[in-house]
Amino acid sequence: MAKLKATAVILGGMLLAFPALASPVCAIDDLGKHICLEQPAQRIAALSPGATELAWAAGAGDQVVAVVAYSDYPPAAKEVTSVGSHTRMDMERLLELQPDLVIGWVTGNPTEQLATLREMGVPVFSIEPRSFEAVSDTIERLSILAGTEAAGFPEAERFRKGITDLRARFSDADPVPVFYQVWDEPLMTVNRDHLIGEMIELCGGDNVFGHLERLVPRISAEAVIAANPEAILAGGMGEENRHWLTRWQSFPSLTATERDNLFFIPPSLVQRPTPRMLEGTRLFCEKLEVARDRRP
Amino acid sequence: MNAMQSRQMQTLSTRNLVIDIPGRADGYPLDLTIGSGQIWGVLGPNGAGKTTLLHTLAGLRPPRAGALYLDDVSVSGIKRRVFSQQLGLVFQDRQDGFPATVLETALIGRHPWLSPWQMEGTDDLAMAERALEALDVLHLKDRLVSTLSGGERQRVAIATLMTQSPHTWLLDEPTNHLDLHHQVAVMKLLTDRAAAGNAIFMCLHDLNLAARWCDHILLMYPNGEACWGPAERMLVPNALERLYNQKLATVEVDGAPFFVPKRD
Amino acid sequence: MIRPITLPLLVLALAGVLAMVISVGVGSVAISPADVLSVFLGEGSDLQRTLILELRLPRTLSAFATGGLLAVAGALMQVLLRNPLADPYVLGLSGGAAVGALLAMLAGLGGAVISGSAFAGALLATLMVFGLAHGTGSWTPSRLLLTGVVVAAGWGAVITLMLAISPARELPGMLYWLMGDVSYARIPWPGLGLLTVVCVLVVPLGRSLNVLARGPMQAAALGISVRPLEWLIYILASLLTATAVTMAGSIGFVGLVVPHMLRLVLGNDQRLILPACALAGGTLLVLADTLARVVIAPEQLPVGVITALLGVPTFLYLLYRSR
Repeated sequence: MAKLKATAVILGGMLLAFPALASPVCAIDDLGKHICLEQPAQRIAALSPGATELAWAAGAGDQVVAVVAYSDYPPAAKEVTSVGSHTRMDMERLLELQPDLVIGWVTGNPTEQLATLREMGVPVFSIEPRSFEAVSDTIERLSILAGTEAAGFPEAERFRKGITDLRARFSDADPVPVFYQVWDEPLMTVNRDHLIGEMIELCGGDNVFGHLERLVPRISAEAVIAANPEAILAGGMGEENRHWLTRWQSFPSLTATERDNLFFIPPSLVQRPTPRMLEGTRLFCEKLEVARDRRP
Repeated sequence: MNAMQSRQMQTLSTRNLVIDIPGRADGYPLDLTIGSGQIWGVLGPNGAGKTTLLHTLAGLRPPRAGALYLDDVSVSGIKRRVFSQQLGLVFQDRQDGFPATVLETALIGRHPWLSPWQMEGTDDLAMAERALEALDVLHLKDRLVSTLSGGERQRVAIATLMTQSPHTWLLDEPTNHLDLHHQVAVMKLLTDRAAAGNAIFMCLHDLNLAARWCDHILLMYPNGEACWGPAERMLVPNALERLYNQKLATVEVDGAPFFVPKRD
Repeated sequence: MIRPITLPLLVLALAGVLAMVISVGVGSVAISPADVLSVFLGEGSDLQRTLILELRLPRTLSAFATGGLLAVAGALMQVLLRNPLADPYVLGLSGGAAVGALLAMLAGLGGAVISGSAFAGALLATLMVFGLAHGTGSWTPSRLLLTGVVVAAGWGAVITLMLAISPARELPGMLYWLMGDVSYARIPWPGLGLLTVVCVLVVPLGRSLNVLARGPMQAAALGISVRPLEWLIYILASLLTATAVTMAGSIGFVGLVVPHMLRLVLGNDQRLILPACALAGGTLLVLADTLARVVIAPEQLPVGVITALLGVPTFLYLLYRSR
């Protein structure tokens, strides 16, 4: 009897230890396609810098065999073979690496190249998180497909909780009219539906261009002056760049300029829908608090 | 000789032909028959419509009234390619085409005789070379036409017509740009052709060339009037003075009349 | 025959075959010639078979067809308009195709719909210019050219507008299409078929074009029905160009320069020039596409850049040597 029990424990333990060998893994991608793999993906190709980050966040970094240009985070990703740019991949190099899962980006990858991959029987899982919850959910789905739930789920939860906490602290704070500058030539911003727009709202900001129809509208400097934001948050072309803000210093009538509420936010923390957005959002909220403190 | 060429020689004639000159009233209807062996000269001042007449006869412009006939068959029912086997035209103004050699240009004349899938054969090549030689341009056969002088180009154009070897030859001022020697050579060539049975119909601005070489004359007046017939009947000083609005003195040279504009 | 037609065509055909062999054998993944051969003999690893038979071979054939179609269309346009500066796009055809393709991209549709839309746009552009030029009664090549240039500029304005208002994420795809990209082309058979048909029709068509090239009056005097022939050339050139543009976007330069280069070397007999254009244009584009795939791999270059870099010095050299 004891021997039987022992065997059962050992067998059960083995099954628990190697869940991956037991059953296929499935998930639904952002295009609604149902993707199933016979076993967790061991050779993943991530076809956008954002997808690369999310793959690492899901704990599947060791299984990534192909990335595209500008996949610079985390640093380990720079060591992985590049297969070209996300708008035009080198199909031969990609196929040579024999991926068993391709993570595509909904907007950005050329449709006919993805179609070619599907025709050749390579599973393509297209993602593009459009909300905070979607970031967590994507990390979880990727970790299922990669068999790395043990790392991915906690990371997704960490992100979720971090966002919830920030929301609880700041979303009801005194609204601060904010202008977020995506680019300077041409001058571009985001509307309410954009993920960055959501960040602004979460931090108790009021996006002065939130009501515009386009997700990333092009506006004029006059429109900014007319809207007279209390704070201006801008990215830049690199991680250190503050040039874009100096333009606003030549309009002393702007409230934001008057109170020196011109804040630089490193673009890599806000412009990719990845866990780094949490840091970016914290930075946003921090800056808006500073703006509130500077009120007379 | 190409089987196609042993068809009948068909005579071009017009009935009540009124040429269309935009903005001008109807001219005199023309009833011409350009018979085998005849050498016609068309005379008239600038603007009388000589070139228009030639283009109308060649089927390139529709007449205002009247019709063209080949041996009593209306030309409008004849296919263009077949028509080009009977009648060919040397233009007064050369259009600039893509570069081509002299030989290639002459060979183009064989086009109406070749069926769509046929390539030029040695016979065609021989005809082109013979024509070039007759016009004294054979030595230029591999030169690009664009590099030739005006006179040489004129002779190449005539050689092309000769290669085409239609029954009726229409020529618009064929002696333009030609030096004296070649003028005479060309006129002699045309005379030989007429003697061989071709029908020659040419516009000339030089009254005396017509007097010397043509056996039939068509006078085209600027107001649309026209008269035609054998040369000796047409080349009378009154008619010519009215045609050119210029007083003329007549002399005789080599048995033919020669007209000189009077000074006063 | 004044010039031997067969020798230059044979040389060009060999060049074409060589280019295609190189294109199939070269890529960002190294495959030895022996392995390439074994793939064609039915063996080779799965990866090699996939790369060669499903990626490289269709792309090579498509590049050849596209290059050939564009070069022949360019030659036809140059004769039709009697203008050595004419290229297949001068009458606004690629503009219409581009608008069709970009609209499909904006609507988020993919693959076959983009191609179909491009083709429809090309035909619409052709009919527009046809109708406009026809409507004025007596048209000359210069009138057709002017109409076409103006219409092309109009399409260009529409394209610029579409680029300005489209969401940023669609832009790379649109730009690639506008620059021309052979990786779009997966099915070479319609293009190759059309090219073959045109080459078969070369003898009657070519001679008529030779006569037409002397000038329309002269051509009419030699038995050519000028107006019907001109429309035939226009429609044929449009069909060729529409097919090429549908396959691979608007690749520039090939249609303008290949006929020129060949004329400098081979003379003006269209019976030689047209098939020579098909072969030389195909060869040029196959070589250009191979370079575009490989030269800075894994980055992929647009093929139009390469055709210009290859073609301009070659053309200038030939021009310098000629006279």
